[in-house]
Amino acid sequence: MDRMEDKLDSLWAEYRQACPDPEPSANFTPQVWQRIEARRRATSSLRHWAEACVVAALSLTLLIATFLIPRYQRQPVYQLTYADVLAEADSPDYTVIITGGDTRGDTR
Amino acid sequence: MQSAERAVVVLIEFEVIERARSGDESAFNQVLQAYRKRILGTIARLIGKPEDVEDVGQEVFLRLYYSLDQLRTPEVFEPWLYRLTVNAAYDYLRRQRRRHESRMSDLSEQQVMMADASAGGKQSTEDARRTRVREQVQSLLDKVSTEDRLLLMLKEVEGLSLKELEKIYKVNENALKVRLFRARQRVLKAYESES
Repeated sequence: MDRMEDKLDSLWAEYRQACPDPEPSANFTPQVWQRIEARRRATSSLRHWAEACVVAALSLTLLIATFLIPRYQRQPVYQLTYADVLAEADSPDYTVIITGGDTRGDTR
Repeated sequence: MQSAERAVVVLIEFEVIERARSGDESAFNQVLQAYRKRILGTIARLIGKPEDVEDVGQEVFLRLYYSLDQLRTPEVFEPWLYRLTVNAAYDYLRRQRRRHESRMSDLSEQQVMMADASAGGKQSTEDARRTRVREQVQSLLDKVSTEDRLLLMLKEVEGLSLKELEKIYKVNENALKVRLFRARQRVLKAYESES
């Protein structure tokens, strides 16, 4: 077991020698900056897109608030008064419906 | 123990790191120039694929650029940079492992052997010896997990101390010793079965 460990240790050392620090190519640094710039552009276009979405959402909200809400508010929710509703309920049409459904009331 | 003892040499003034951290691009360029060779060397040994070293190295410096503002103090810059390097190497190795598995399943065993033989026939003796050592170590490390592989490389080949590894892995010394012991046992087992 110890012998194997020693052999393994030698192998690590040999590996260290077989892989010296490589010289960076002439393009290494410019390419790093290109990637930084590309990421910056992508982030910036994403930010612009997000800002455009926010502006569009705000405009839509304003549009709804300015035009659509007042239009619906002009139409009252209750078109009839309570008295009108009672009068309508007492109308002959209503009676016909009741008598049509249950005739016991008429025979009395 | 024949592992390389890495001399801890801070390659750049803390003041330059501080300026780079606050967004000074010329200071970042100085950091890049100072550390690129060391980082490329570490990556070369961690991943064992010379053709992809620069790509992973660029990824490390890209991540460094966009995370440098999170660095608390310039004193911890080196372990921070090593951590980014290990993470980038880890991501690369995981991607490669997935790609390799799918590629190998597409090729017959004979095709793989022929490809290996033709690749080996074009090198000088010294290159061939180095390639053999690299392949032996890579084949050994392919038999253990990516986590074991990186930890062993940093300790045995890069020669990082336990203290340095503690800072990189953000775990205490005892936990690290246990991890190292287990990783060593696993790689030793693989080595025994290979020899």
